[in-house]
Amino acid sequence: MSRIYERSLAIRHLVCGSCNGCEHEMNALAGPAYDITQHGWDLVASPRHADVVTVTGPMTEAMRDAAAATLAATPNPRVVVSVGDCAIGVGPWCGVGSAGDGAGPELGARVSVRGCPPSPDEIVRGLREAARLLDDV
Amino acid sequence: MYAEIAIAPERVRESVAELAATAQALGAYAGEKQVRYLFLRPQGVLCATVDAGVGALPSMANEMPLYDWHEREMREKQGIAFDGHPDTRRLYIGDGPVPEAMTAQGEGVNVVVVGPVHAGIIEPGRFTFSTGGETTIHLDTQFSYGHRDIERALSGRNALEIAPSIARICGGCSIARSWSYALALESLGGIECDEATEYARVVLAELERLYNHVFDLANAASGAGYGRGLTMGLGLKERILQLCAAATQHRLMFDAIVPGGVRTGVLSDPQALRADLHAVRRDVERFAKELFENRSVVRRFAGAGLLDGRTARLFGACGPAGRASGVELDVRTFCAYGAYAGLDVRIANEKGGDVLARCSVKRREIAESFRLIDASLAVLGDSSIQDPQTVECGTGRTTTALEGSRGVETLSIDVSGDGTIERLHVISASYRNWPAAARAMEGNIIPDFPLVNKSFNLCYSCMDR
Repeated sequence: MSRIYERSLAIRHLVCGSCNGCEHEMNALAGPAYDITQHGWDLVASPRHADVVTVTGPMTEAMRDAAAATLAATPNPRVVVSVGDCAIGVGPWCGVGSAGDGAGPELGARVSVRGCPPSPDEIVRGLREAARLLDDV
Repeated sequence: MYAEIAIAPERVRESVAELAATAQALGAYAGEKQVRYLFLRPQGVLCATVDAGVGALPSMANEMPLYDWHEREMREKQGIAFDGHPDTRRLYIGDGPVPEAMTAQGEGVNVVVVGPVHAGIIEPGRFTFSTGGETTIHLDTQFSYGHRDIERALSGRNALEIAPSIARICGGCSIARSWSYALALESLGGIECDEATEYARVVLAELERLYNHVFDLANAASGAGYGRGLTMGLGLKERILQLCAAATQHRLMFDAIVPGGVRTGVLSDPQALRADLHAVRRDVERFAKELFENRSVVRRFAGAGLLDGRTARLFGACGPAGRASGVELDVRTFCAYGAYAGLDVRIANEKGGDVLARCSVKRREIAESFRLIDASLAVLGDSSIQDPQTVECGTGRTTTALEGSRGVETLSIDVSGDGTIERLHVISASYRNWPAAARAMEGNIIPDFPLVNKSFNLCYSCMDR
């Protein structure tokens, strides 16, 4: 079994109505304490460059089209990772007001990272799981 | 103390202008057929109510752009008409079409659209730059991509039960919002917290300011192309978040402040936190010194993203963004709440209005936050903090205003007899500052947008709600 993705993962982040708490923890991945570049991973600026799309938030009406377009621009094989309880569908804003029931299920997520927000270590574990799914393709 | 006065619909313009001249205008929101203009005075929030049941009210947005978004929001959400409002576009997109951007017209004007999905790890928004050559002539912003209709959804719920939701309206200003909500419920319920609880709340609020301001300086360094500054800043933010977790069992301190006090178990070992913060403080000071002694960084900061004092005032800029442009308002001293009155807070004011001035304000506020935390922890000594008091839901309406890390955080609630929320409204510091931040881009080149933007570092979630 190859370990190409596990050692070289391009990650694109997509915010779909999160409270920005998950973004604080996603941002930590680029800092010296977690430094995901040590695994050969990178946060990339375009979905065209991505293997993994991390999504946060319950999904909002106004983000639905832009989220679908972002996913459509991401080449296959790709894995969507739900980061945080809202994205999974169990967070505080799921089904509240005009919010949806989780951006992850709506976008076909195959990996879930629990937490409100999840810690950077937990996000790293979810990303590793996504890389293994890609390596097993 | 919160107070209300009624103003006559035919005298709205004069009355609001008069009040804004003598008090700090916070904005406006609407209740049932009523518009409520909010002002802050040293003695507390003043709410001027106007009957909006009979016809359109005059728009204040032309003379005071501060009211631009507030009026558009009331128009869309409560159906209140404002005569003469300069912008007929929708503020909230919902499932409708995205409003067309307002762009500059003329020969040679180029329009560049960015978003709503951005290249970095940031919340969604659409930015439309009208440029002449490389220089920005006008920046149009379209937000509400994160709109969940929170205020409507939380209405009808029990006031005490929704406290965890209030803490999660926005991850980066959770403590400020939990505190303002607690103050509102405690004032309606007629209870006061003991001294130790008040000092504990100051510790938590200043920890939130610390991690945000350090993060902002890191991002400003990044915007100036100084990678070492970003790395150092992110490393220091992480250390502060770990201290937040040690103090509250949550890295972003969600639910640490609850109505009636602070959650049981928060700040269980004040002196350990004090010692740990001492080590972080030394390294943060070294980081800030290095940043501000780097001449190429300072040259990028100087003159970029200029927000002049007049524009800052008219648009209602507040917090570090206001104080960097000569708007000398900090709620911690202007209308001191909690333990701040006894702490002699030293306010950071600058006049430059550029990225350098905003970063300088934050650098000085970081130093002051460390001092305030240390002083508060000294007062707490080794004593444990008492469990939160039971809050009985009072009835009525109130508005609280306090100083979050991005500026004035305003929260209004209307509670009925059985403790049900009839109306909830949040005016976040980011909502106040975004229109001014957009003006600060004029005359700057697009590649400087990350630098200018990050010198404000505003949230979207508490603005979109």
